[in-house]
Amino acid sequence: MAIDGLIILDNTGRPIIQSGFRSTSPAYPLLHVDAFNNTVPKSQRQGDIDPVIYVPPYNVADSPSACCHVECGDMRILCPVSGDVDPLFAFAFLQTFIEILREYFGALSAATLKDNFDVVYQLLEETLDSGGHPLTTSPNALRDIVLPPSLLSKLLSVAGANINSAMNSGSALGATGGPFSSPIPWRKAGLRYNSNEIYFDVVEELKAIVNRHGTTLSSSVWGKIETNAKLSGTPDCMLTFTNPHVITDCAFHPCVRLQRWKRDSSLSFVPPDGHFTLAEYRFTPGASATSARFMAAGAPAVVQSAKENVPIPFLLKPTVELTESGGTFEFKLTSRMPSQTIEALVAEMYLGEGAGGVKCVASRGDGGLSSGRRGTPETGSSSTTGSWTFDQRKMVVRWEIPVVPPSSVWSLRGSFTSLNSSPRPAHALQVRFTLSSFTFSTLKVDQLKVTGEVYKPYKGVRGKATGNVEWRW
Amino acid sequence: MSAVYLNSISENASRLGMRLQESFSEHTRELTLAKGSSSLYLEPDDKGRNIRKQLDSSSDREKLDAMKRLVALISKGRNVSEYFAQVVKNVASQNLEIRKLVYIYLLRYAEHEPDLALLSINTFQKDLTDSNPLIRAMALRVLSGIKVPMIGSIVVLAIKKCAADMSPYVRKAAALAIPKCFDLDTSHLPALIGIIATLLRDRSPLSIGSVAVAFEAVCPTRLDMLHTQYRRLCRILLDVDEWGQINLLHLLLRYARTMLPRPTEEDIDVDIKFLLTSAEPLFQSRNPAVVLAVTRVFYYAGPPSYHSRMVQPLVRLLHNSKEVERVVIAYVLAVSRTAPTLFSNFYPQFLVRTDDLRQVKQDKIKLLLRLANFDTHQAILREFIDYADDSDDEVVSDAISAIGRCAYALPECTQQCLSALISMIKNSRDAVVSSAVLVLKYLVQAQLSAATTSSFAVVAATPQESPLTIISHLARRIDDIRHAQARACVLWLVGQYAASTEPSRGPEGVVEWAPDVLRKSAKGFSSEPPMVKLQIITLAAKLLVLCPTDHTLSLICGYVFTLAKYDLNYDVRDRARMVTSLLAGLGLSEAVTAKDPDQDDRGGVVLRREQVRLVLFEGKVSVVAAEENYDINVELGSLGMITHRPMHGDSALPDWLERGVESSLRDTEDDLPVPPPATSFSSSAPPQKLRSLASPVVLTSSSGGRPSGGVKPQWTDLDKFYEDEDEDDEESDDGSEEEDAEASTDDGSDDEEEYSQGEGPQR
Repeated sequence: MAIDGLIILDNTGRPIIQSGFRSTSPAYPLLHVDAFNNTVPKSQRQGDIDPVIYVPPYNVADSPSACCHVECGDMRILCPVSGDVDPLFAFAFLQTFIEILREYFGALSAATLKDNFDVVYQLLEETLDSGGHPLTTSPNALRDIVLPPSLLSKLLSVAGANINSAMNSGSALGATGGPFSSPIPWRKAGLRYNSNEIYFDVVEELKAIVNRHGTTLSSSVWGKIETNAKLSGTPDCMLTFTNPHVITDCAFHPCVRLQRWKRDSSLSFVPPDGHFTLAEYRFTPGASATSARFMAAGAPAVVQSAKENVPIPFLLKPTVELTESGGTFEFKLTSRMPSQTIEALVAEMYLGEGAGGVKCVASRGDGGLSSGRRGTPETGSSSTTGSWTFDQRKMVVRWEIPVVPPSSVWSLRGSFTSLNSSPRPAHALQVRFTLSSFTFSTLKVDQLKVTGEVYKPYKGVRGKATGNVEWRW
Repeated sequence: MSAVYLNSISENASRLGMRLQESFSEHTRELTLAKGSSSLYLEPDDKGRNIRKQLDSSSDREKLDAMKRLVALISKGRNVSEYFAQVVKNVASQNLEIRKLVYIYLLRYAEHEPDLALLSINTFQKDLTDSNPLIRAMALRVLSGIKVPMIGSIVVLAIKKCAADMSPYVRKAAALAIPKCFDLDTSHLPALIGIIATLLRDRSPLSIGSVAVAFEAVCPTRLDMLHTQYRRLCRILLDVDEWGQINLLHLLLRYARTMLPRPTEEDIDVDIKFLLTSAEPLFQSRNPAVVLAVTRVFYYAGPPSYHSRMVQPLVRLLHNSKEVERVVIAYVLAVSRTAPTLFSNFYPQFLVRTDDLRQVKQDKIKLLLRLANFDTHQAILREFIDYADDSDDEVVSDAISAIGRCAYALPECTQQCLSALISMIKNSRDAVVSSAVLVLKYLVQAQLSAATTSSFAVVAATPQESPLTIISHLARRIDDIRHAQARACVLWLVGQYAASTEPSRGPEGVVEWAPDVLRKSAKGFSSEPPMVKLQIITLAAKLLVLCPTDHTLSLICGYVFTLAKYDLNYDVRDRARMVTSLLAGLGLSEAVTAKDPDQDDRGGVVLRREQVRLVLFEGKVSVVAAEENYDINVELGSLGMITHRPMHGDSALPDWLERGVESSLRDTEDDLPVPPPATSFSSSAPPQKLRSLASPVVLTSSSGGRPSGGVKPQWTDLDKFYEDEDEDDEESDDGSEEEDAEASTDDGSDDEEEYSQGEGPQR
């Protein structure tokens, strides 16, 4: 199973960086860049580009191929595949590669990659064999082979001292510190920290669909434990939870001992150095202690979880009326949280092709004009009333409320016109929000034990919840 | 006063601060970016002229700068192969960074400039003994990338050397070089197979994935080499890196399908079970491709009772990312074709969101349709009705046809579907109306044909739901149906199914409501679009054939035909002319024919009433579009399933053998659970080896026809003699290889112990 190569495009669709291709024809990568650029204008909505584009063969003798692609900052990364390769393989590699790039350069943009193109090339060579097989993809091992760019190394190179490479070749000669000297593939050897710390961020996302009557049709909470480990030596960690039965459908970083989890629901692992995602899980709302036992018996516990829905932290009352040449809408949002503040709430609605002339009033309170201030056309903005914008390109009206205090009421009224005879907006609002220091699952870390090393690390645990709710009307 | 003073001070201060900041940032920009890579990337091409000079210079900094320039040019798509000779000289540079960039350059151009690359072969060979595993691996990668068949044997030697390297990283590179060497010159096959056999016994899980790649590329049919490794490979599956797991799972699955007996619910082979239990924990991998590889193992090698275990992991993948969802939903759809009940509890996970990709929406609709059963159809039907409001026309038509299929498949919701469809006909959107009408037409036709052929007796609805009532329902609302296509379709339906034998208040031989439809539509004939006019003419003709005696009916028909005859549209005029001459033989009342005085002059064939009826009514396609069944033969986890097109080179999994091969072939001393108490380990080994030695004979006995007993039969001719001797040779070869294997596994197991006693975590 192998991919054909990798092409990074900037936002104008021009290739910036390209891996070597095993294919014989030099036209092959161009064909894929072309296929992608031709597909983009054809898709009417931004998100409607098929992630797997079929690319017909250039010559009769060639076999057809497909172009898998993902968006990454302001760039697109294309991954041509051919034959009977699983496209998931391509996407899995793309995800891994993007994670590596993030690890090296932080926020990604075409400019960053152009700045560091030599490092990117080295990374490409190390992660992808010329036959298209992934080689080394663990960030810890890679950091030994390809030095991350740092201000220091740049300063030094300007100053003329090439200490960087001297260090590099020096370490390569020694048997210990060199690449691939660690007995654990995902962890660097010989790490030393003055203060040993490990941080766990429990990040959960609520995905839900609510119908026009306010009934939740489907909801699920997917969580991740994002970890930042700064521990010396080779620590063997053991993380236990007070209520592990609330999570199910888990996926783990390769460092986690799966048998141990199966036996007593505790995470036993030797962590990689730095940032990594320790585990992913799904929250099972109805799982009391009894149902946990029920699940352990192997019976399908899904029916019940489908019925037990996670409460949506707000209430939305959408009223939309469509006319021949436009429509009016009114959304009323009420926070349902008793004490928590909902943050960064964004509601979006696609207004359909040809929409325009959007005029809205965003206000706080029950929506009397007296309590709200009239927004200026196109963009109305005020921190006390929420703000709205209209994206001409995506045809999306966006309503933003930075802070929603408990049980406050907000409303947005507006109208739009449409060039087409009958407007066809999406029949739903996408509402995204954040709740800091909150988890839906109330998953609680009991304790962290470290064996194999003498120190006792500082442990930090933090929760964060986000939501993505589709509210139909 | 003082306030003003204060103001000016603060203003000055802030100005100074800004100035400082500006100058500082300027300085730092110069500092960090003066020689930064960005300027190299953006500089115009002609600046690269002195690259050659820089490469030849003695300063490492100059060289590094030149190499970076070259790489920048490569990424801009320029051909920089002209510098090959200068670059190759630097391959032995002491500076690791330069060396790596040189290798990057060489890896790109070795294929295109094989002759120049040949010049540097000595350097690469020297690098194979470098102390740094990174350099050794890179040298091998470049060496195997040079496409000159002449150096094939050198490459084989290099691979052999690296296959025995200390570092698993280099062994991995060796494994990956094997397919390239094989592509170069297939005559090295025996040597390469030998190397693969050695690498297969590698105790480190790091390189085994790449060995699986090499195996699939070079000798995919030599699955017999895996006999003794199978159980060990299953055992180390968890410790292999994620990409290796994917390749290894594919290989093990193919082995199982080729060598093991088909599993059934009652009787599942131990080795299949071992594969399944070893692979199952990998459902918890974070890599979606690994999860899918395990799913394939369960789907293609597990008995049906195991299939339920792959459901939740697949559902989990749906939330991974939009791209992954796009692919996984197609696989779920494929799995649900064979086992729809697996996913039916999960249907809320498959509800369409408005921000889903179009392909995802379409696949989800198909999937929901398949999951609809007695318990869920209410909810799912409501979803479909909601999706008919989607802003994408393709999704809308998919949703509406899904409603139709629902009505067809689940009789209990037919009524609900029909009322939904009928209300859609009044919608203002073309896409909704036209698909709703089409679906209604299909439904009616399907039900009527089912009623006549009675093969679908189950579907035959109760009286109040009978298709004729649907038509009559539609007919009564003809005034509400404004959309041209919908109107035309309803008129056609009314005409097609207007025949009735029951006595009614209206004209004889025609259902009660049909003539009224004609009356209503004839009234507004002139203002109808052509598509509808054509159908009004057809309706008139059909009614007239069914009941030629009724005076009012023929008057209306005459009216319609006259209007049509002078219509502005060619098609309408043609249709009217055709229909009137078709009806000439009916002996109709004056109203129809009298206005055509030249009718008699034409002569020609005149049809009788039965014939006209046949012409007008029969031969209509009553199709219920069969569910599309492309990619039934396409495997789970292949590109063809996503693109819905043949992708060539699709290697299908082999079908099971009736009886698997002898399971003792897979026995090794590792899995011997407890050595027999009486004998010591050393004494138990030889019989073990004997058994594994004897087993190939079992295999060949069917083809060679030689009895597996020890006594050789008398020789009959020379050919046979040589044949047998060959076989003997092979056997002895196998034997010696076996011994090699033993020797090296012993060595390897020591390594393994070291590994585990060291800090390697055991899972």
